[in-house]
Amino acid sequence: MRVPGQCGGTMEDPSSQNHNGQLGPSSGGFCAENKQSDEGNQRIQYSIPGILHFIQHEWARFEMERSQWEVDRAELQARIAFLQGERKGQENLKNDLVRRIKMLEYVLKQERAKFHKLKYGTELQQGDMKPPVFDEPGVAEMPVDGESPYTSVSNISWRQGRQLLRQYLQEIGYTDTIIDVRSNRVRSLLGLNNNAEAEENLNNAQPVPTALNGNEPVKTARKSQQPTSLTEAMMLDTEAAVLANFEFLAQADVDLEDDDDISEDLDDQGDDDQDDVKTARRKGKGNDGLSDDVDAEAQVVLNELILLTETEDNTDGRHQTDGTEWGSGMGFQSGAGPRRQMGFINDEEAPDSTLGLGELAQLTVSNEAEAFGPLASTKEFRKTWNAKYTLRSHFDSVRALAFHPVEPVLITASEDNTLKLWNLQKTVPAKKSASLDVEPLYTFRCHTGPVLCLAMSSSGDQCYSGGLDGNIFCWNLPNPNIDPYDSFDPSVLACNLEDHTDAVWGLSIHKQRPQLLSCSADGTVKLWSPQSKIPLLSTYSSEQDGIPTSVDFVRDEPNRMVAAFASSHCVIYDLETAKPVVRLESSQEVLNNVVGRQINRVVAHPTLPLTITAHDDRHIRFYDNTSGKLVHSMVAHLDSVTSLAVDPNGLYLLSGSHDCSIRLWNVDNKTCVQEITAHRKKFDESILDVAFHPSRPYIASAGSDALAKVFV
Amino acid sequence: MKMADGIAILRRNKPGTKAKDFSRWPDEPFEEMDSTLAVQQYIQQQIRREPSNIAQILTPPEGQDEGVWKYEHLRQFCMELNGLAVRLQADCHPETCTQMTATEQWIFLCAAHKTPKECAAIDYTRHTLDGAACLLNSNKYFPSRVSIKDSSVAKLGSVCRRVYRIFSHAYFHHRTIFDEFENETFLCRRFTLFVTKYNLMSKDNLIVPILEEEAGTGESEA
Ligand SMILES: [Zn+2]
Ligand SMILES: [Zn+2]
Repeated sequence: MRVPGQCGGTMEDPSSQNHNGQLGPSSGGFCAENKQSDEGNQRIQYSIPGILHFIQHEWARFEMERSQWEVDRAELQARIAFLQGERKGQENLKNDLVRRIKMLEYVLKQERAKFHKLKYGTELQQGDMKPPVFDEPGVAEMPVDGESPYTSVSNISWRQGRQLLRQYLQEIGYTDTIIDVRSNRVRSLLGLNNNAEAEENLNNAQPVPTALNGNEPVKTARKSQQPTSLTEAMMLDTEAAVLANFEFLAQADVDLEDDDDISEDLDDQGDDDQDDVKTARRKGKGNDGLSDDVDAEAQVVLNELILLTETEDNTDGRHQTDGTEWGSGMGFQSGAGPRRQMGFINDEEAPDSTLGLGELAQLTVSNEAEAFGPLASTKEFRKTWNAKYTLRSHFDSVRALAFHPVEPVLITASEDNTLKLWNLQKTVPAKKSASLDVEPLYTFRCHTGPVLCLAMSSSGDQCYSGGLDGNIFCWNLPNPNIDPYDSFDPSVLACNLEDHTDAVWGLSIHKQRPQLLSCSADGTVKLWSPQSKIPLLSTYSSEQDGIPTSVDFVRDEPNRMVAAFASSHCVIYDLETAKPVVRLESSQEVLNNVVGRQINRVVAHPTLPLTITAHDDRHIRFYDNTSGKLVHSMVAHLDSVTSLAVDPNGLYLLSGSHDCSIRLWNVDNKTCVQEITAHRKKFDESILDVAFHPSRPYIASAGSDALAKVFV
Repeated sequence: MKMADGIAILRRNKPGTKAKDFSRWPDEPFEEMDSTLAVQQYIQQQIRREPSNIAQILTPPEGQDEGVWKYEHLRQFCMELNGLAVRLQADCHPETCTQMTATEQWIFLCAAHKTPKECAAIDYTRHTLDGAACLLNSNKYFPSRVSIKDSSVAKLGSVCRRVYRIFSHAYFHHRTIFDEFENETFLCRRFTLFVTKYNLMSKDNLIVPILEEEAGTGESEA
């Protein structure tokens, strides 16, 4: 059957024009004949031209596939090269750290000796006093005498020190490697078992040097720091953080050079690799004389690939071109002709490039989704989350974020009075780092003050935002593939629920019913049915408990909500009777707290009768909803815990804190699975919200540094 | 460091904070700000203290890098301009303001698109603010908020020129909105003095007669 079909195919196939031109009538006749015999007889008639065409076609197909595989291979090789480069970079970084440690130790020893000599007038015997020896020649110029920069730093005035510190900070900039290493360090000091090996690696990696006899005490000290309990760990953590900070300050000035090294390495590797691919291709060509046209095809594929990456680059540089365009005078005399033409060209070109990038972006992300699978199906939770996307476009603290229930889309709300919509599939590759920048697709403007909280409807069609202006706006989500510079559509704003008389600090949406809870600094909690004519259903307030700070629907009981208050009280209400049902027991330790007793966030567990609260006193507490008893209480962070999120299966808890870190907890055994330093401080605030994607393996954090980050 | 002070002042807006108390904490001296966002903190603190005291708001702390100072101010301007954009959304419709104009002399083309486009005034406003948000947050040009390359600082002027048109459109076409907004924020006044002080725009382009007005009323009063 296939061969006759093939015959029909060749008739239309433009690639065999010559053949057809020569044998046009006869082959046509042959085909007709073939069809007749087909009808009469089920047996397949093979004909020489038919078979030839078939073979040719198949061969072309195989060659196509072969070339595609080659392209794939080239891609993978590039990836390997990239990873190797990254490893090399990490090694450089590590070596520098080791070098720094040696330096510091040497200087310390010298200081000790000096001190000892001054005090007792004798030389101190403290082992080898040789200055550390470095492999790289470039570093040998570092001052190793008594006048090393570290000692002099301690002599100059406090203000200068501050200046220096600031310089270091600026040099650190936003280098994520540092944050990562730091968090690794803190984690290892926390004594979490899955990091034990990392710590080991660190130790192993340090070549125990002959010149370092004096380092015994340091080592033992570190060993003794292995904490036995979490509380102890927390205390040590503070120390560790300071220690880590110190190390990074010390190493910061080397760091910039390092970055360059890494990128150079990468570039080199990349170039080499490309050359490799090319030579391999040439060989293939030489071996197979017949494959010329196929090679051309492969070349086309390759070119396309290059084109795609170029498009990507172009889009990356889009703001540059924007910038230069912006630079030219933009005022045109009214009525000038060429303007419209320009607009026309723009219309034609724009879809092309966005299409290319869109497809490419989708390709990578969907691959990833395949690789990791949905959260629910992976029994084994992925061990470590890494920062992948940085969402930069807000001008001030990002107060809240919410994921779309299905799509890789999220919304952020900020103190710059706006909300922004982001599609993680529309990324701009960032230079020099593995993380990707995302540009916002839509900016929601209507609040006249900071936007404080967010909730996404379970269909993902709408979202709600509460602000300092006391408004709750309901927004229709624009299409996640919208052109960011489309014209203004007033219908994006669906409605305004404006009964609160002060800042709205918390929102929660019901998973099944179209109901919304809000809590406000006006002292009330309100239940809404946003789609109805009279949206306000009821108002709850409590003299005794004061101002509510956070609310959530209780998930295992259909008609209840849990409200947390600035007074540290936490109460479960029946929504219909508006009466408190259970008061969650305030532990003595909270009541004795004069400052920092406030609850910043309350979340209900998605399946269990469990309420989880985040407190100003650095604790996370777990309550049983039926008895109201405290089930578990733990010091979870080094500073106020500001935000909580439970993964859709209820296995993991994510917390954010003003200590600049987010932590992932196992709900079952309450142990910390991962700690990530994610944001910088503005005044005394750092992380303001965290979230789990309801159906994809994404977590996110929002910070007062005007950034939001998404981890995979 | 704060722990040592005894009673620590925590500059935080905790959930439940009333609108009138939002960010109402004692000023922090600039020398004590150890955050990478110190300049933003300082500028916002000065504005909160007295939004009409423009001279003080525009006076940098001693030894402050000028590029960062200008950059952070421009971020603050774009952020506050969101307030004007919200008001314009209610009044500036694409049917009535089909083009971005101020006086009749010029029609401004929207530079947010690949090829400059004749956007309606409200779209121009939104696109320009969105474009400015992207540029000012671009990892490529402004990877750090502590030190900024000269080549990136040079880009600030064009952002200023564009966002200024939002003021001028509001002034010439939506005067009530402009006046209400200006009385609350003093933003156009501050912006005008800012770009003049740092030579970011030529005087010819500053078509909103806001300083002249002020001078005029000052003279008549005197
Ligand atoms: Zn208008
Ligand atoms: Zn536009």
